[in-house]
Formats: sequence, structure tokens, C-alpha cells
Amino acid sequence: MMLTWVYWTITVMFIVLVLRNLFREKSLREQFVAGMVLVPLILRALMIK
Amino acid sequence: MFEKRYLGNRLTAGLMLLAVAAVAAIAGSSYLQMRNPPPEVDRLVPHAGFERRMLSDWFDGLRDTPADTPVFVQVGEEPGGTVLVLGGTHANEPAGVIAAVVMLERAQVQRGRLIIAPYANMMARTHTFPQDAHPQTFSFETPSGARRTFRYGARTTNPVNEWPNPDIYIHPASGQTMAGVERSNLNRAHPGVADGGATERLAYGFMQLILQEDVDLAIDLHEASPEYPVVDAIVAHERAMELAAMVTMELEFEGVPIRLEPSPENLRGLNHREWGDNSNVLAILTETCNASAGRFRGRTDEALILSGEDKAYDKAAGLGRLYVPWESWDKRIAERVGRHVTTVWMLTENLEYVREDAGVTVTGLPTFAEMSEQGVGAFLSE
Repeated sequence: MMLTWVYWTITVMFIVLVLRNLFREKSLREQFVAGMVLVPLILRALMIK
Repeated sequence: MFEKRYLGNRLTAGLMLLAVAAVAAIAGSSYLQMRNPPPEVDRLVPHAGFERRMLSDWFDGLRDTPADTPVFVQVGEEPGGTVLVLGGTHANEPAGVIAAVVMLERAQVQRGRLIIAPYANMMARTHTFPQDAHPQTFSFETPSGARRTFRYGARTTNPVNEWPNPDIYIHPASGQTMAGVERSNLNRAHPGVADGGATERLAYGFMQLILQEDVDLAIDLHEASPEYPVVDAIVAHERAMELAAMVTMELEFEGVPIRLEPSPENLRGLNHREWGDNSNVLAILTETCNASAGRFRGRTDEALILSGEDKAYDKAAGLGRLYVPWESWDKRIAERVGRHVTTVWMLTENLEYVREDAGVTVTGLPTFAEMSEQGVGAFLSE
């Protein structure tokens, strides 16, 4: 269970960083890239995939 | 070009976030459907006489865990031996699963006992391998037009149930080292560990079933890719070799080409090795040819699972890279299931010749020719 908490912490930290990048980014293409990175991170944080 | 125009702002970021939520919801819903499929998916209709039990009846450590799986037992009127059949040790080998289902829905045991676990690793049925693009289900049409749908899973246990895998897996009973992913492979986890990982505990459950029921013959149904050397084959523990050799000859007489392979003594964790070494059972594994699990395959869809036809494999065969005579080979799932069912029936019929008083007689199973002619759907219940 400890490993699961470590996994969740890392995943949530990455989601926060990517979200920060998404809202600071001025390039639409880079925002799209950030969006594509977010999808699997969200699914992993929810332990769906 | 987008960078120079600086079209991105907080509004587009918000819209992007909405799109991300929508895509995650659609993908997540699809993945979750594999874990909680509709009732018509993977439905089983056991033949009259089968009693439904759970593997946890033999090993309580599996009770109320995702590893627990249904086990069906039918006892004949005459006393005899006991045969165990496993399908779905690897959930991405559909002919093994469907052959076990066909036997469950057609078998009538006259003598001895038949035990069938059609979905041996339930935790492998809840996901597909990332980047393999396998369809989540495949289906058959019955003579009345109804459809029977089954999940196409993965070779190993879902990481949601067991993770993280180590870099190197050390097989507990032998100390042999393997790739880390093999920790989640049921057919590398035998004879299992009572307090081990989820897959090791599942393997331990099957070992307990074999020991407590004093199983005479255990058969695990698999499929392998056409470029794999052990394909369309019977793999037998040394004690089961005489029986396997008899059946190999009978299959050849019936026009079903098959090869016979000895269970390697130094390859540990496989059921034909560990079941045979740790009990009195005659342990056998059978393999048919499944292009949908191969590395050379092209378009990966339900048609490939059912037909076995693939342009990339046609080319590979032309280059001599396969272990089957591809052009003349029976690739359809009907022939692959028929091969499994016929092999199990012949092994069962011949059991009494190598183990006195352990005869098992099963009727009602389709022959290879019937399955080939009428298709799988004709032998599934409504």
C-alpha cells in the first residue's frame, strides 16, 4: 500500500505540473501536447489503466 | 506555426481541459467495461450435471479476491478417475478459453469426474495489453441467431490487481530468475505461494485443487503465435509422455497434425513441470496457432481472432519464418477449438490405458470435423 501512495503522489504531482504548464503556455500546439499528456495521467491516478 | 501566433490563452487552456476530461471519460468508461462487463459477456451455460464451485473452496486465501474463479465439477454415474481442464490461463489465447467453454456446455460425464475452470486467470480478463490494439471482445453466432460474446484479455494479471512487477522475478520454489513481468503470468507462478502475490496465490489455489481432489490428468489449453516453435503441440511432463504419445498418434490418424514436446526440466513455474513434480497428476499443456497474439500481425481486429488470416503472416510464411505450413494450415478459431476439444477427449479416453481404474468417459463433445464444418457457434448454448 505504501508503494501505491508513492505512485499516487508522483502522478498527482505530475498532473499539477502539467496543468500549470497548460495554463501558462501561450502556444496552442503546446497546450494540445499538455492535454494529451494529461489523459493517461488522469486514468493512472484513478487506477483505471 | 501556432507558436508564432501565440493563439493560446487561459480560455483555450480551459477548453483543452474540457476536451481532456471528455477523452478521459470515454477511455475510462471503455476500460472499466472490461472490469465490469455486461451480463451477456463471458456468460456460461453449464451442461446439466455440472456443479458450480469457486477455486476458493480449495484455497480459502482466494475468497472475495479478484483472483477467485468459477470451477465446474461433473461426476459420472460410474466411478473412475478425475480430469481437470483449464482454459484462460492466458486470456489472450481465445481458442483455449472457448474450448473449455464448449466442453462445459456440451460434456456429459458417464464415468469418473470432469473438472473445468474456463477462466483460470480472471485478473487477466479485465484488461488488454497497452499498444497491442486488441479488440476487447469477440463473438460467435449460434444457430438461432443469438450472439455469445467473450472478453479478449491479456497474458498477464491486470496491474491494477498486482503491481509493481520487479525488474527480475525470482521463482519462489526454484530460485530461477525470469523477466519481471512473469510475476504476473499464471503459467510461470506454479506451484504457487499461499501468501505470495495475487498470481502466485491463484497458482497455489490450482495446486491445492489438484492435490485435494487427487486429479489424475490435468490439461491446460493455450495458443501460441505462428512464429513460436512450440505451436500446434502437446507439451507433456515425463510421467504423462506415454499418454501424450498415444494421443499424438491418434490425432495424426484423424488428420490433425500435432507435435509432441517434452516438458523442459529446467524451465520452472510452468504447470506441466510444477504440477507433475509436486503431485501425482499427469500434467499436459496443449498449444494451437493464434495469429492475433503474434508479433508479425498486421490489422488487429475481431476478424483476425476468428479467421486467423493475415497478410503479414502470408508474407512471413513465404519467407519461411513460421513453424506451421501456413497456406494449408487450419487457422480459423473453429479448427483451433476443435483441435483442443478433440485432444482433451482423446487424452481422457486413453487415460485408463496408462492409469488403471482411473478411466474417465465423456460423451457429447463435438469432433474436429464437426467443429470445422459447423463452426464454434453451433456448439455453444443459447
